[in-house]
Amino acid sequence: MAEQMWRVVAVFRIVTLAYAAFLIIRDHGSYAHPAGGWLALAVMCVWTVVTVIAYARPAGRKPWLIGADVALAAALVLSTRLILTASQISAGAPTIPVSWAAASVLACAVAGGPAGGLAGAVVIVAADLVERQALPQSTFSNTVLVLIAGGVGGYVVQLGLRAEAAVDSAARREAAIAERERIARGIHDSVLQVLALVSARGRELGGQAAELARLAGEQESALRSLVSGASVGRPEGGLLDLASLLEPLGGPQVTVSCPAGTVLLAEPPARAVAAAAGEALDNVRRHAGPGARAWVLVEDDGAAVTVSVRDNGRGFAQGRLAEAAAAGRLGVAQSIEGRLRDVHGTACLTSSPGQGTEVELRVPRL
Amino acid sequence: MSPDSEPRVLVVDDHPIWRQGVAAGLEEAGCPVAGTAGDGAQALRVAAATRPGVVLLDLNLPDMSGAEVTRRLLAAHPGIRVLILSASGERQDVLDAMTAGATGYLVKSAQFSELLSAVRAVTAGEAVFTPGLAGLVLGEYRRLAAGGGTGPGAAAGAARDQAPARPRLTERETEVLRLVAKGMTYPEIAALLVLSPRTVQNHVQNTLIKLQLHNKAQLVRYALEQGIG
Repeated sequence: MAEQMWRVVAVFRIVTLAYAAFLIIRDHGSYAHPAGGWLALAVMCVWTVVTVIAYARPAGRKPWLIGADVALAAALVLSTRLILTASQISAGAPTIPVSWAAASVLACAVAGGPAGGLAGAVVIVAADLVERQALPQSTFSNTVLVLIAGGVGGYVVQLGLRAEAAVDSAARREAAIAERERIARGIHDSVLQVLALVSARGRELGGQAAELARLAGEQESALRSLVSGASVGRPEGGLLDLASLLEPLGGPQVTVSCPAGTVLLAEPPARAVAAAAGEALDNVRRHAGPGARAWVLVEDDGAAVTVSVRDNGRGFAQGRLAEAAAAGRLGVAQSIEGRLRDVHGTACLTSSPGQGTEVELRVPRL
Repeated sequence: MSPDSEPRVLVVDDHPIWRQGVAAGLEEAGCPVAGTAGDGAQALRVAAATRPGVVLLDLNLPDMSGAEVTRRLLAAHPGIRVLILSASGERQDVLDAMTAGATGYLVKSAQFSELLSAVRAVTAGEAVFTPGLAGLVLGEYRRLAAGGGTGPGAAAGAARDQAPARPRLTERETEVLRLVAKGMTYPEIAALLVLSPRTVQNHVQNTLIKLQLHNKAQLVRYALEQGIG
């Protein structure tokens, strides 16, 4: 961004030099001191070459050089009084550098933002006013234009630089997050290993170690669902991976089994099935009895996706729906059915005493 | 079981705490430890030197994938049994290692007694299935039946799917595998389907063996096509 702006300044300076040269060549015959005109043109040519080369590299954009740039432009404006005749000046003839002087204002704006641009503009405008010793209409509008160029130019450059910096820092932040995630995966893996070991060995030892084992087991599954939850809910082309939605439901009492690949579903059915499976598992926790375990199986046969939630709890007799209703199970079953119906799926509840309960959720791919 | 017939176990894991913990536990339980290794290359060297009966293999090794280690171990020692243990293993990694020829799979949070009986089961050549593994195997048959695209991380994936004969599950095998995936034990399944537990075990094992043979045939086919054979 800044580089482009410096190139614009260079182009502006060369174009305006050509214009100033044209006027000097055309009018030098009428000057009070034609030699002064040629000398001023020579100075402008040399200075144009010097600044174009110097400003091309960041190292060359020294504040003193930019200050000298403005001072020289102001001096050339003032030199108009020595070179032109008094009548030419009072008739409103253009200054010797004409708009070439504004190149230094642009340089200030690019280097110093709105404040720098305005400061440069004020110097050139002041020189202009001294040269004319009057404020005719044309000079007035030129003055305003130079001031605006300095201020607005500086502002635009500043905006551009800020945008560039914002994009830059966003990219840096993204890279930092990716790196942090990579490190976190390594750490999580180590922590999971140790927690799994404490949990397994503690249970063997029994007693107080068993209590530690239980805590380690809980933390292990909490961490596991945190790790596997990192990628949850990021749709790929409007589709969600049901496996990554369901895996976090696993824990010491719940096993989730899925195919190796993704199980992609449109977002509404994916969310509905995941929510229904979650409800079914809540139901297991509440009603299946202490120590009951549950298994979630995800199957994808292309035309439909089937999720089974089975527990090995106490179960209930199929005919005794009243009992189930009293136990609060029916309401949950109806809520699960409702969720599936909304996405053109079905839910099927089977149970028998002592055999646990199974909920089968099936949603077609439309 | 007399101490002589106990399997000698090689414990392969990149986490020293886990490695030493498991090795000590096995020794305490009267199960001799042939050695330990922290990465795949070391595992291959130690296996060549100590000739273990069973390799307890972690899937997250720094130098090679679990499937790669399994393939190389079996190529060098055809009689060896590989039991996969994984903590946070990706599903595809587990499936790849199993189709590469591993005999069993356990999650690391399994009880130590489960680990011991799994080691003894794979020594006897019995497949050790978890519900998670049953779900993976079911999914893999469905993928193959659908003429599925190459799975991520699948070995020689391009060749794998041009198979003329894709392995299929019988209805009974599907039924049994689904029940395993839903957490039922072999005796429970046997009672439900009126089979012997032994038959249930055979059905389960067949599903894995068919996948492994298919995988091996695909690798050979791929090698021949590429002029490696």
